[in-house]
Amino acid sequence: MITTFLQRLLWLAILVALQLVVFNHIHLFGYATPLVFVYFVTLFPLGTSHWNILLWAFACGMLADITTLTPGVGAAAMTLTALVQPPLLEAMRPKDAPEDMRATFHTLGFWHYVYYCGLLVTVFTLAYFLLQFFNFFHLEDMAISWASSLMLTWLVCILLEHVRGGKKEE
Amino acid sequence: MKALLEFFSRYNHWILFVVLEGLSLMMLFQFNHYHASVWATTANVVVGKVDEWEQEALKFITLSQANQQLTRRNAVLEYNLNEMSRRLTELTHDSSYTELKQRERIEGLTLVPAKVVTNSVMKRDNFMTINKGEADGIRPEMGVVCGTGVVGIIYMTSAHYSIVLPLLNSKSRISCRLRGSNYFGYLRWDGRHPLYVLLDDIPRHAHFKVGDIVETSGFSSVFPPGLFVGKVGKIEDSEDGLSFQLCVQLGVDMATLQDVNVVTQEFQPEVKELEQKLDSIQQQ
Repeated sequence: MITTFLQRLLWLAILVALQLVVFNHIHLFGYATPLVFVYFVTLFPLGTSHWNILLWAFACGMLADITTLTPGVGAAAMTLTALVQPPLLEAMRPKDAPEDMRATFHTLGFWHYVYYCGLLVTVFTLAYFLLQFFNFFHLEDMAISWASSLMLTWLVCILLEHVRGGKKEE
Repeated sequence: MKALLEFFSRYNHWILFVVLEGLSLMMLFQFNHYHASVWATTANVVVGKVDEWEQEALKFITLSQANQQLTRRNAVLEYNLNEMSRRLTELTHDSSYTELKQRERIEGLTLVPAKVVTNSVMKRDNFMTINKGEADGIRPEMGVVCGTGVVGIIYMTSAHYSIVLPLLNSKSRISCRLRGSNYFGYLRWDGRHPLYVLLDDIPRHAHFKVGDIVETSGFSSVFPPGLFVGKVGKIEDSEDGLSFQLCVQLGVDMATLQDVNVVTQEFQPEVKELEQKLDSIQQQ
């Protein structure tokens, strides 16, 4: 249990640090910014209690908010994503999967994982940009920022999972 | 109790979700100036709109009563106008004189019609909100009237709404006079009855009686002279005994007020500027 806690803490620190040091400085075409800390929510295995995921996700979002100087935006979006994650993973779970299955390319299959990750990233980025813009006067800007950041975040999350899965197999 | 505990244990993550989202939104509005201002603006607009709808509904319900009041008032005014016009013609043998005087009085005045959105009469310091603001040319310290008399003075303005300091507010001071005699004093409310206000500082040698008309004196840039305020209801001595204190029955029933007009005078800013200059000279 302590190992799991420390592992999660380490992932949280790594993702927030990556966001702060690397990804916050990427603004492709002035619109697309990868928000990789959402990857943290995809890591929780089946059977994890809902409140556990909610608290971890909230903490991760809040830490990320401190780095981007927009308190509340990431925390709210991450909490919403954490609410969606358990039922989504349960719905995509293969029949013969173990009770404590974690979503990976290996357990879900490549395309199922891509869908799973894509849906979570969609929920997260949509909530994030709605809260960040907080009005509908710049709808076009918001839509472009959301769509481009969604694609970029999705891609980075899949790459992260690929790197992580590859290292584990080695 | 058991069912309640079961409910909480089953849906604890929903409660936690609401709490965490609430915390996040609180941080969002607390620490981000942009979000806080958008939120405050939206909340004000929504509250203003809801109040407006409520007033619209109430107004519709009491429309027949308002119509009756307007018709009655219109009839009285029509009668007075005809009567005065007739008398003036008898005296001057020139009917165009009345129109000339009327035009002189209205010249330089613009009336902006507005609806009362929120109102109160039961407090010591009442305020009223109307649905016209700076976008309609309304500025603080403009006068507010309705068909049956003076209502108050614009106190604060936003883009589309304004707050009126009505006569039924302890801070309200309007210079008024007795029609015909030109003795003037200041109108104030003692916080008792919403239909009666007090007119102070009327000299003891002044001649008047119960039922005399009280009107604006025009000794400020807010109201032109001669606007109906009310009628003398009771005459009393002032506290120091040096002057009279009149109890004035207002022409306006603030509790049922729905439609008002804001008086915008062409030369008001000029007069205000002069007054400010005088103040600054006196302070030196």
